[in-house]
Amino acid sequence: MVSKTVLGLFTAGVIALCCTSAAMADAKASIEARQACMKANGGMIKVMVPIIKGQKPYDKAAIDASIANAQKACGGWADWWGADTKPGGAVKTEAKAEIWSDAAGFEAAGKAYVTAEAAVQASTDEASFKAAFPALGKACQGCHEKFRQAD
Amino acid sequence: MKLLPRNIPLALALIAALGLAALWVLSMPRPLTAADIPQHAGDAANGERLYHAAGCFSCHQPSPDLKDMDASLPAGGAPLVTPIGTLYPLNLTPDAETGIGTWSDLDFVNAVQRGISPEGEHLIPALPYTSYAHMKPEDVLDIRAYLATLPPVTSPEREAEITALPLIRRGVGLWKWVGLDTTPWKPDPKQSENWNRGSYLVNGPGHCQECHTPRNAFMALNSSKAFEGGPHPEGKGRVPSLRGLIERGRYTDAADLASALQNGEAMGYDKLASGGMGQVQRNISMLPEADVQAIADYIASLK
Repeated sequence: MVSKTVLGLFTAGVIALCCTSAAMADAKASIEARQACMKANGGMIKVMVPIIKGQKPYDKAAIDASIANAQKACGGWADWWGADTKPGGAVKTEAKAEIWSDAAGFEAAGKAYVTAEAAVQASTDEASFKAAFPALGKACQGCHEKFRQAD
Repeated sequence: MKLLPRNIPLALALIAALGLAALWVLSMPRPLTAADIPQHAGDAANGERLYHAAGCFSCHQPSPDLKDMDASLPAGGAPLVTPIGTLYPLNLTPDAETGIGTWSDLDFVNAVQRGISPEGEHLIPALPYTSYAHMKPEDVLDIRAYLATLPPVTSPEREAEITALPLIRRGVGLWKWVGLDTTPWKPDPKQSENWNRGSYLVNGPGHCQECHTPRNAFMALNSSKAFEGGPHPEGKGRVPSLRGLIERGRYTDAADLASALQNGEAMGYDKLASGGMGQVQRNISMLPEADVQAIADYIASLK
């Protein structure tokens, strides 16, 4: 009987340990994926801003490539916001708790970004690109203001 | 010798009473008087500029409960969450009942530059009067003149949700002996006019140091570490250092920093939206270009 209890406890312990660390690995993977997505978005903005400022000539191929790169890095977005990826957890994140407490607001901010990005992607020449870009910049800014933690 | 045991408690009680009386006196509000403020006809146009430089709107935003009003007016009431409790900043529109319509100029200067309400209470230093104290009183009166031009909004005052508020206010009175430096801002004659304009805007109305300078054990700004950054005053995250922004490669030069302050993250300048900086940047973007450049030149000179 004793050995059975011990065995049971041991099994429970192993399961708890394995699943906690698996969940932690998931949280870590999610947070790292978010960061890689944001980095790709940042890379995209770095391609676009010099063109907007007139420091570099309009380059549709470079713009398209930067958008494609960002979209590839951000493909799994919807799956990266599990409750275990909130701030204050085992893995450091700049995400604010408001992402979860104001889920509708976060969703709307994400939609604004996707819409603005699609509009830039659909732009065909310098004039239409320059007309579409400000909404994309504002989408980055607006979401970070509400949902990103200072350092 | 027989008297001593009886007199020790009496002496202790007397010392305690004297101590309390001293604390009471030391924590009393010391407002400015009419003779302390200049005779000055308010310039609403300059006041509007200073209103943005001082970031008044960021905290005095209208409560989400207020409907059918221009949301750009500083009608107050939106909750301001701080580590000591939630404050509901005042309605700055000239409404006579719920705003500052009936305040005298002296009331306004005392609130903004000394942290004392018209009722003679200490204001919680979430209102950065510690920086505004360095401003030219004429500029403060100009802000007052600008606010008087706004349409009045009915937005009743709401008491801060802070435990033992009256006692805390007296504590603020004591704290002011170490935390409130009322020295007027002075130009540095060795520097350019532009740099001095930036220095004034940053250290007076702009109150940049309130977040970007760490505090000492008394919660007063640690001036030996000015602009070095530190813990975020709202309790989460850190505020970056403003020293060596060019040397560290955050910005290519002062013109780039000016562009960052003008445009923020909307033009790809990273980390200018989070931690409250988004609101600061939006306020700065309302300033004339020369003022934005002056702020950038001054900040860029901090090594």
